[in-house]
Parts: sequence; C-alpha cells; structure tokens
Amino acid sequence: MATTIDRPVTEPEPEPEQGRQGDRPFRPSPLGWLARAVLALALAWLVFVFPLSQEGFEVQRFTTAVIYGIIGLSLNVLLGYVGQISLGHQAFVGIGAFTSAYMVSVQNQPFWVAVAAAAAVGGLQALVLGGASLRITGLYFALVTLSYGLVAEQNIFQVEELTGGGQGQAAPKPAGFETDWRYYYLCLAFLALVLWVDWRLMRSKGGRALLALQENPRVAATFGVNVRMLTLFAFVVSGVFAGLGGALLAHNDTFVSPEVWSFNLALVFVIMTVVGGLRNRAGVVIGSAFFALLPYLIDQIGFIEDAVAAIPAPRELTAELAPLVLGPLLLILTLVRAPGGIGQQIRPIQRWLGGHRFDLHDHGPKEVKVADVRA
Amino acid sequence: MPDVLRDRAGVALGAGALALIAVVLIATGEKESLVIGVISGAAYGLLALGLVLIYKSSGVFNFAQGEFGTIAVYVLYLLHFEVPYGLALLGALVAAVVFGLLLERLVIRPLYDSSRVILLVATAGVALLAISVEIWFGDAQGKTIDRAFPTLDRFSILGVQVSDQRLLLLGVLATLAVVLALFFNRTNLGLAVIGASQEPTATELVGISVRRLSTFTWALAALLGGLAGVIAVPDSGGFTPGILTSAFLIPAFTAAVLGGMTSLPGAFLGGVIVGVIQAVATSAPLFDFIPGSAGTLVVFVVLVGVLAIRPQGLLGRAA
Amino acid sequence: MSVLEARNVSIRFGGVQAAREVSIAVGEWEIVGIIGPNGAGKTTTFNMITGFYTPNTGSIWYRGKDVTGLSVDERAALGMGRTFQNVGLVKGATVRQNLLTAQYLDAGYGLVPGTIGSPASFSVERRLNQRAEELAERLGLADLLDTQVAGLPYGTLKRVEIATVLATDPDVLLLDEPSSGMGPEEAHQLGDTLLDLRREFGLSIAMIEHHVPLVVRVCDYVYCLNFGEMLAEGLPEEVRNHPEVVTAYLGEDADPAAAALEGQLESLVEGS
Repeated sequence: MATTIDRPVTEPEPEPEQGRQGDRPFRPSPLGWLARAVLALALAWLVFVFPLSQEGFEVQRFTTAVIYGIIGLSLNVLLGYVGQISLGHQAFVGIGAFTSAYMVSVQNQPFWVAVAAAAAVGGLQALVLGGASLRITGLYFALVTLSYGLVAEQNIFQVEELTGGGQGQAAPKPAGFETDWRYYYLCLAFLALVLWVDWRLMRSKGGRALLALQENPRVAATFGVNVRMLTLFAFVVSGVFAGLGGALLAHNDTFVSPEVWSFNLALVFVIMTVVGGLRNRAGVVIGSAFFALLPYLIDQIGFIEDAVAAIPAPRELTAELAPLVLGPLLLILTLVRAPGGIGQQIRPIQRWLGGHRFDLHDHGPKEVKVADVRA
Repeated sequence: MPDVLRDRAGVALGAGALALIAVVLIATGEKESLVIGVISGAAYGLLALGLVLIYKSSGVFNFAQGEFGTIAVYVLYLLHFEVPYGLALLGALVAAVVFGLLLERLVIRPLYDSSRVILLVATAGVALLAISVEIWFGDAQGKTIDRAFPTLDRFSILGVQVSDQRLLLLGVLATLAVVLALFFNRTNLGLAVIGASQEPTATELVGISVRRLSTFTWALAALLGGLAGVIAVPDSGGFTPGILTSAFLIPAFTAAVLGGMTSLPGAFLGGVIVGVIQAVATSAPLFDFIPGSAGTLVVFVVLVGVLAIRPQGLLGRAA
Repeated sequence: MSVLEARNVSIRFGGVQAAREVSIAVGEWEIVGIIGPNGAGKTTTFNMITGFYTPNTGSIWYRGKDVTGLSVDERAALGMGRTFQNVGLVKGATVRQNLLTAQYLDAGYGLVPGTIGSPASFSVERRLNQRAEELAERLGLADLLDTQVAGLPYGTLKRVEIATVLATDPDVLLLDEPSSGMGPEEAHQLGDTLLDLRREFGLSIAMIEHHVPLVVRVCDYVYCLNFGEMLAEGLPEEVRNHPEVVTAYLGEDADPAAAALEGQLESLVEGS
C-alpha cells in the first residue's frame, strides 16, 4: 500500500491503442509471456491454495474476505453505478444473515432455499426502501439508510423468533460443505457468480444507462431510460448481493448474533468499497478482502505487528480495532489523493497481465466529474 | 420581505403543531413524556443547528457532527479529574472547535470540488475515526460524568422534576436561538455567511473570502455540537464511544429535515418535535407492541414520512 | 397531418413568462428552423415538446396523439430524438459506449436477462455494436470510436451527438443549435449532412439555429421567437426579411455598425 499511495495523480496524455497508423500492436516476447504466466499462477496460488495451508479457524477468515468481496460489490452497485450511498448496509447484510439462519434453524429448510430466501429478502428490502426514497436523492438517501440501520439494530434484531435472542441463531454449514475449506470454495463460487452478474450488468443496457444516468439524467431520459425503474432495479441488484453476502457470512460463522451489526460495520463496508476503487471490480474485491484480512495480517506478519505496537498511545491498538482506525485514514487519503482507489493503482499490472505494455502511468480513462447530486 | 414572512408562518405552524401535541399529552396524562421530550429535543436542536449551518454554507451533510460532541465529552471527562469543572468545560469546547477546524482544513477543503456524496462519505469516515480513537484511547466501557449543576430537585415543570442541568440545556438553547437569529439577521459576518451559501461568486466579488467563512462556519458548528455533548451527556447517565453519533445524530438530522435543512428556527423546533415524539413512543403503552426501542423506529418513520410527503420540510420552502 | 405539434403552449417560471401561446408544427419530412435572439424561449419550447417541462397551458401532439402528459423517456420511445445546446453526451464514456447507450430502447432484452447474461443478450449486443460502428462510419467518426468523449473538440462533439441521437432510432429530430462551435465551412457541411440524413433515415427535423445561412439553405419553414412570443413564421426568405425580425435581431434603429452586420449576413446567405 504505502508505495503506491503517495504518487500524485497526474493525468497522462490519452493514448488510444487503435486508430494510429503504422503502429504495430504490442505483443509480449516469449519471456514476457512467461513472466505474466508466473504472476498469474502466483495469484491463483494465493487465492486457491494458500488459504488451505492455514488452520481451520484461519480459513474462516479467508472465507470472510471472499464474502466481503461480495458485500463490497453490492455497495459498489449503489455507490459506484447509481451514485447513492448506503450508510445502513450492515442492516441489509445482517437481515440476510438472520433470514438464512432462521430458514435453516427454525423452518428446517435446506441451505440453498435459505440462501435464495436471504437474497430475495435483501432485494425486497432494497426495493421498499428505495421506492420510499425515490423522490429524494443522494444525501437524503444516506440519512434514510443510516436511520434504517439503527432500526435494524434496535428493533428488527430484537425479534427473538428471528434472531434466537441473546445467544444468536445457529446457521450450520450446508451438507457437502461442512469443512472450512470446502465452504471456502463454495463462497469463491458465489463470488464468481456475483462478479459475472456485475460484469454482465455493466456490459448490457442497464449498466450503460446507469452510468449515463449518474453523469447526466437528462441525456439518459432522452435515450428512453426510465429513471425510476432503472434506479429501483439497481437497488434490487445491490440488495440481492447484500442478502447473499449476509447468508454466506452466517453459515461461515455457523451462528449469527444480533450485536455485530452496528454503524461501525456499515462504515467499514463503505470504506472498503471506496478504498478498493468505485466502478472497479478487481479493486473493490481486493479492497474488501484487505479490510477483512487486516486483523489477520496484523496478527501474522511480524513487522506490521511491531509497527502497530510502536504507535505511542495510552493503550495498545488491537488487531480487531486496527481496521477501524486505519480504515478512515485510508479512506480520506484515497478521496483526497487517489480517488480511483486500489483499482486505479493496480491497473498497470492488470493491463500488463492482459498482454499489454507495462505503463506505470496508465490510470485508465479520465474520471469526468460526475454531475452533482446536490439534494 | 416575503421570505421572512414565510419563515414566520412556518415557525407559527410548527409551534402550533407542537402546542397541539402538548395539549394532547397533558390531557392524556403523558406530561412526563412532554417535559423529557422537550429537554432531549433541545439537545437534538443544538446538534441540528450545526447540521443546518454546514448544509447552508457548503452543501454538505456532516455525519461527523455528533462526534464534535462526543470528543468534547471525552475531553471533559479527562479534564474534570484535573481542573475545576468550568475550566474542563471550556477545554472540552475548545477541543470540539479544534476538531471542527482540522476537519475543515484537512478533509473538506481538499475535497471542495468533489461531489457532495463523496464529501458525505468523507465526513462519515471522520466520524468512524473519532469513534475508534475514543475506543482505542479510552475503552469501549460506559463511563459517567458529573453534572455541572448537581441539584436534581430544585424545580419542577408540570409536576415533573427537572434537574438544574436540564434547565441549563433549555437555557442555552433559548439563548442561542436568540443570539443566532440576531447574528444572522443583523451582523455583517452573519449576513456574509448566508450570502456565501446562496451566491458564492457574488460574495467573493464584494471582497469577502468564502474560504474564511467556511472555516468560521465549521468552527461554529463544532462549537454547537460540543455544547450539545457537554450539556446533554452528563445528564443522561453515562456514555460510550460514539454516543452522540449513535443516540443523537439521527434524531438531529430528522429535526433538520423537519426544518427543511435550511431553516435555523426550523431546526430548533424540529428538534423539540422529534424529542417529544420519541419520548412518547418510548413511554406510551400504545407503542409496546414494537420490539426493541420504539423511539428509534418512530424517528425512522417520521424521517421517511417527511421526506416522502414533504421533502422541503415543515418550515422549508419548495425548491 | 404534422408529425409534431406544439399547440398554444405557455409556461411561466416565477415572474417570467418564458413562452406565451407558442405554436409550432413539424410536417412529415420537413426541416423546420426556430430562430430568435438569446432568451427568446427557443430551448424552453424544446423542453416542453420533449417533456422536460410541462406547459401551464396548451398541448403537445405527436402524430395525432396528445403526449402532453408523457414523460421524457416515453416520448423518446415514441420516436422523439433530441440534442442539447451544451452537448448531451456521457462525457466520461467513449464514443462507442455512447452509441451503445443510446440504443437502450432498441436492445430488446429486459434488464434482468441482460444482467444475468442470457445468450440472447450476447447476440443482441453484437448487433448493437455493429450498428454503433455503422453510425460512426456514416458520420465520419470511425477513428474515434474508442476515444473518450471528454476532450474531443466542440465541433466533433456536435457530430458525435448527432450520431448518438440517430442511434436512438428517432422519427423526428429536435436539434438545439447543431452548428454552434463550427466555422462557416463546417456549418455548410452540416447542412449537407442534415439533408442527406433526412433522406436516408426518413426524418423530420426541428432545429434551433443561430446560423442564418444554414437556416435559409436547409429549412422548409422557419419560426422566429422573441421574448417568449411568436414574432413571425413562414418561408425562410420571408422570415429573414420580415421587418420585425430584423429589428429583433439588430435593434430598433439600425445604426451603421448594425447595417454593416446585416450586409455581412446578406453576403453570407448569398454565398451559400
């Protein structure tokens, strides 16, 4: 992180790849391809093999990181594609978690039905809340979701039937995926599914219209886009992702307790998405996984632990608290210095892996100032 | 001045609604809810005032407004062991203002050209930073602070005992209402702040620095937030990290929304209305069916209701 | 029957009567010009026709149907295509993405099948992309397909905008100052393009335009607005020589400078 952040964001001259005569398209040398293959394999090893070398308890943390990727993508739909901010996303995720746990433990439904129900409830919530807030925009929506998050915490999660009271609701892992590592792969598969949907959303008419809508609603309307319909649709997509993420979290921990769904968690979700890089799939997933793994990294990597311990403060910064302190700092650093987040910083590597030249200053298309959503 | 007249009409409407609620509550024997509601509403009003000020001057929803208060409470807590209470209060307010100035300088100003949603995210991030530093430097446990005025049973209103601290809160709110109204209507600086919010370019052209005004507004908002914290929290029993964000911020925003986000008297009045509604929901048997804290749910319903039915608020003007 | 008609529309913003009893009709295959000084209510009228504003009185008719109550996107679906004075494009996106976005209604597949990636949506996407390339080719933008819109020169933006509005598959085009930012040469070419497009796509066109030579050359009929009211209408030559129009453009008593300007206008028209 530290090496990538303090580079000033200078806009490179646009350099279109095509359309220039006499310029042969760049092809990596065999050695270049080999280097790319090595890096790709290393990344694949990190995702598919490394977590399994960990103790069972630690595998759960990696699973959490994968699920946070799904939650980050959920917020990215709202914040990145619609331009609305949810400060109550912990409620969407939490209700998904309790729905799934309730379906399995109380209604004796199979895991798959429970997960589908959680996703559906997530979508429904988003539809209702979004529908109620359609007349208002941007800033007020943040307020409504913040308030909704507190309602979830203080009212909905007080319903004992749903939450199992103080000790929480049990959420066993599904048949066939009882071991931690099998469940890890299951969650990876769900993440892949969410990534697929997100990719298709942005490559089809809905996603294109959303971007147009965010930048210039009048133009989108003249293209025939029904603004309300489309916005509601995006809310539902986000809600479904959040519900799914919640259900997977519940079964990862094998129980859900009502205490963890606080405002702080909602903020961590927002921060990991923004630091990851709005509208950048890889960035959002990496950012989300990073925040999920931060306590683990602090515990496991000696020099980080030493550095954290060396901070002069009346009390030690615990690994659990560190993301809450570090997160906002990274957020502000990202917003002020590198609004594209991690996604923008890793773009040169991504492009290189895809067979292009390595260009350190390639930050992708210029970010055009989005028309203000002043409420 | 039709604007002023409309403002007054709005205030009269709000006050009328409040009087009606008061009569109903007294008639139904919910006098205690009324008194408690007005008092907690005064704290919401103080916080809402800061929210409205910042929204008027820079178009930002400041989600760190509550933490101006919590920081002040923690500083008060730490100082009141060392120095006389009055001095500790002063230190607490200074800390809140310093926090506000730092926020304006380090976060708001660099993001001046960003979209308002990004600014909102930034202030929410600052709120989380403040909360986690409170957990880190203190701990997550609840703490209590002495009241500035310890006497609890000197006065009673409508038969309800009211502590001196609560009277202080009401007094501060009433005084601030008058002082701020005079400030924004009569002084050059006050008029400049409002002018800058409506016509930034024109304000610059007549030689007033919009940046300085922004600094001033944030300092003032932080002072109001700090005041809300140091007066209301010692009276409410105890506090935990982020107390003003978790318990005060949403009602305060709801109050500001009731006032249309732009009206200072509306924010005061909105605060009191929200306070009373919340107190009634908490104590009246009518709301017993609601699981958990009925006050939270009712505030949410009020917020969504106002936004859906009358987005310009009770006292605001249609855009 | 006219394709598009505004019947006696009026709208008021606060104390300002932005348009009063304005009537405009666009016939099949017609190119209609709307001229008038700045602030005359031309764009306001466009906004009422396309649905951004609802007139206080009067109505909008499209092919014999009253569309006054329809929203912007519903009118777009009927076949109204519109450009904007300050360029209505998604500036953060490439030319290709804009051309794809504009085919929203033509895509055919629903939001959900598109989002889950149904096989049909893939083949439709290929078709949309092909059409985007054809339109870019047609307007001489093929080289710019994958260039970001922000940063293109103004004249090019106007061409991209016309390509984009054609991608919405319109029946009637409403162009707001299509030649702004163009030199006389480019404006002349634009005239050719509009005449060709009308033939190729079977379009009817209404355009707000300041460039008098262009209006005189391509328009079949011209309306002149001033202070929100209809000042004159008729054939281009008639309107241009209408004494009130000349006054509105050049001031009450034409002083020598204005007369010189008028002379310039004349020669420009004759030159075209």
